[in-house]
Amino acid sequence: MNSPHFKKILIFLLSSIGLIVAPHIANIPIALFGFFSLVLGWRFVAVWRPQYLPRSRVLLFLTLLALTLLLSQHKHLLGRDAGTNLFILALGLKLLEIKTERDIYLVTYLAFIVAASLFLYQQSLFMAAYILAVCCVLFATLVAINSIEIQTRVALKTATLIILQAIPIAVVIFILFPRVEAPRWMIFEEKNKAKIGLSDSMEPGSISDLGTSEELVFRVKFTGAMPPLKQRYWRGPVLAHTDGKRWSQFNTQLFKGLALTKPSYTGTAYQYTLLMEAQEKNWVFGLDMPEQFSAPLALTGYYQLVTQENSKKRAEYKITSYPQYNTGELTQVEYQDATQLPREPSDKIKQFVTQLHGFDSKPEEFIAQLLTHFRKEDFHYTLTPPLMEENPIESFLFTTKRGFCSHYASAFVYLMRVAHIPARVVTGYQGGEFNGVGNFLEVRQANAHAWAEVWIENQGWMRVDPTAAVAPERIEQQLNLDLLELGGEIRFDPNMINQQQNWLKQMNQLWNSADYQWQRWVVNYDSDNQANFLSTFGIHDFKAMMKWLMILVALITILLSAFLLRKKQKSIAPVLRLYQRFCAKLKPAGLIRTNREGAHDFAQRAKIALPEQADAIEQITADFIQLQYGRVSSREDFVRFAKAVAKFKLTVHR
Amino acid sequence: MSRLPFKLRWSVPNFYTRKALNSESITLTVRRIGIVPSKRGFGFMLLMILLVLIAFVYNNNLAYLLTFLLASVFFITILHTYNSLAGLVLKDGQCKNVFLGEAAGFDIHIHNPTAVERFNLQIQLEKTENFTLAAHSKIAITLYKIAQKRGWQTIGKVTISTSYPLGLFYAWSPIRFDSKALVYPKPATIEIPFPETPLADAEQGVNQKKGADDFYGLQEYQAGDSIKHIHWKAFAKGQGLYSKQYSGANNATEVWLHYDYAAGHDTEQRLSQLCRWVIDAERADIRYGLVLPNLKIMPDRGSAHYRQCLEALALL
Repeated sequence: MNSPHFKKILIFLLSSIGLIVAPHIANIPIALFGFFSLVLGWRFVAVWRPQYLPRSRVLLFLTLLALTLLLSQHKHLLGRDAGTNLFILALGLKLLEIKTERDIYLVTYLAFIVAASLFLYQQSLFMAAYILAVCCVLFATLVAINSIEIQTRVALKTATLIILQAIPIAVVIFILFPRVEAPRWMIFEEKNKAKIGLSDSMEPGSISDLGTSEELVFRVKFTGAMPPLKQRYWRGPVLAHTDGKRWSQFNTQLFKGLALTKPSYTGTAYQYTLLMEAQEKNWVFGLDMPEQFSAPLALTGYYQLVTQENSKKRAEYKITSYPQYNTGELTQVEYQDATQLPREPSDKIKQFVTQLHGFDSKPEEFIAQLLTHFRKEDFHYTLTPPLMEENPIESFLFTTKRGFCSHYASAFVYLMRVAHIPARVVTGYQGGEFNGVGNFLEVRQANAHAWAEVWIENQGWMRVDPTAAVAPERIEQQLNLDLLELGGEIRFDPNMINQQQNWLKQMNQLWNSADYQWQRWVVNYDSDNQANFLSTFGIHDFKAMMKWLMILVALITILLSAFLLRKKQKSIAPVLRLYQRFCAKLKPAGLIRTNREGAHDFAQRAKIALPEQADAIEQITADFIQLQYGRVSSREDFVRFAKAVAKFKLTVHR
Repeated sequence: MSRLPFKLRWSVPNFYTRKALNSESITLTVRRIGIVPSKRGFGFMLLMILLVLIAFVYNNNLAYLLTFLLASVFFITILHTYNSLAGLVLKDGQCKNVFLGEAAGFDIHIHNPTAVERFNLQIQLEKTENFTLAAHSKIAITLYKIAQKRGWQTIGKVTISTSYPLGLFYAWSPIRFDSKALVYPKPATIEIPFPETPLADAEQGVNQKKGADDFYGLQEYQAGDSIKHIHWKAFAKGQGLYSKQYSGANNATEVWLHYDYAAGHDTEQRLSQLCRWVIDAERADIRYGLVLPNLKIMPDRGSAHYRQCLEALALL
């Protein structure tokens, strides 16, 4: 088992396993990954130094160590993370114990399971392409085992060819295989997972560095026109309760129950499809304000869309929204929520509100005054504000005057409440990058935003965005926050926008568009999508699906086998065909081989007729006899024969 | 289109008994090739079931896609495995005659007239031979079979098989060739002198008899010398054991190997003894004749005679 043959197979196998497990570095505990890498490295060394392979006692110890590691990370051995880790460790330990060909097959099969487990963490187009490539290497390992002499190139080529030929049938099965949702009890939920995203509370004063993430939250495809940038507010959780520092959701009936009164809508309607990425929370970010939506969605008393299904997978929703609406009268509960203050405001605050006519003018006027104040005074928008642990609102308003959307929104709402105007903080996303290739909008974590909502007589809840007063470019222009130096403040520079319009950005958009289609048509192809898609072809039930599955697979098989066999039959007797070509070349010289004449006799006749070419005739005839009737002949003989026939040319001097 | 492999025959009634016509080559086609999943193939099926369960529980479309890709690979491997056997042309070749208990060698000529290179082929008679075959090339392989019985030994069933490319399927084709080898009796191990048969006296031709009478000298007795030629008078005088030598170097000795005089309690043992005598006689360059119950071969020597005698022994 230490032949060079086996060594080559092992190198093949170990490399592909390294490639399969590598992306898991982000998914499994570092201790386990370290353990696996160590074992893999050990096995690599042992390819050349087999004496270093562990004995059974050491192997037992390693197995126990692996189990201890596993149990220290997980309480039970079910679920995605624990299952993945279990398979990776099993794969690693089995590597140290490869003795026969059977073991190699077992390891390869385990590697396929680990490859599938990668998809439980990441379903991007890139990952799929990567796994496909690694599958080629894994299959090439199997080809190598089954070859007598291993030629790396041939093995890889054969494996790739088989995989390419397998794709059409795989796609057909993918489309037609009935999708049934697994029963609830079979899904192992992971509880201790933290994800970046919008949270159900905010504490602006305690954040000194707002990280921006380019992680995708959702995509929107509009059926008709797209709303202008300043109307692209994607409504999320409403934070109405404050303790002076922290803003959070009220756990009242408004939150639990559904919308009390449906707003009346006016103006342009926008129809769109929202493709939400997997989320921790069941929030769905509809364009302010959603009007029509279908089954799993519901509108809370805070006019926030929530889904009643599992939000931990991608989902698609069809929604219609109106940017202009009137929510009408305020209920008692809403009023209480929207005017809640933790304690009596300080004199400094009261004085400030009085100064801006908060107590003696109409709400609209006070709002205008306050926004002007933000704009005129030395307020700055920054992602790295100073810490404001004590009295954050007062410090922000009177001392630091630096902050991001949460600071402005919370300060604004607080001042409104001091002036007895019902107000609350709304969080969500603002804007989104338009992908011209795929014609859709991409909204990322960096687009997270917080704004204020004020209730005004006869108008209902009205959106006010104090950040827009300070940094209008944040709202009206699409600023890519990544391009800004995080330490500096945002300054609007038109050149920056132009710089983004380069080819890199276009490439990026192309990729994002492909990814969108991938998510939409492949990753998100669930039972609903399947039913929709298939019904356009008139396939409605299980029976029809199975029928078409059979028909299409049979059809592809016929085409494929016709292709494979045709190639073979064409070359069924190339030796004879070449010889016939040679005879045809002699025809102009009056040499015609009769049916009864053997090749040898014919050659004798030809040699007499063409003495100058006797050598060539002799050689070709000898090769022909050898190839056609001889016991043993090699590929070289055939090539030489073919070349000689091709080169042969009648030179008749008359 | 009528030869498509999806019509692969898994069990054809006369699949095993298909014979090559005399001296005709056999091309491996759909009708001759059988394909079944190998043990590894069944393991692969288990893998696919596990993967589809994972995909189902996590409702993960890419895991589904991977599973279906593997299933599709599994399916089309049938075609590829078929293709790594199909199109080969087999023909039987020469075979040498052997003694009982030795391995009879049968030549099989395998020709790959196609452009498909064969990376792993097995041909099996009693032992399995692995070989590769490049496109448009021929190979001759000698297969051995231990001769178990005297007489004609047919090659019987030769199986050519492959599990290339992935080892998930096993394609094989059992072929019966007509080529046969003649099996001579096993030469006896015990050395017994040539028999002194009365027949030798009675039947010796006139010429030979005359020649044999021309006494020309004495020679010290050697094992195998005819008892009849011992110079008893000299022996009686105490001068030692001498054999009378007769003139005519070629006809110096001539033995008749007679079935009835061979030791043994059954036919096989007697033939075995006769076989040993034939070998010894040929080696000693003695003229020998063979008498069997149904056949008599006049004394002679040389390889043609030798073979004639052995064949007569083999076919008795």
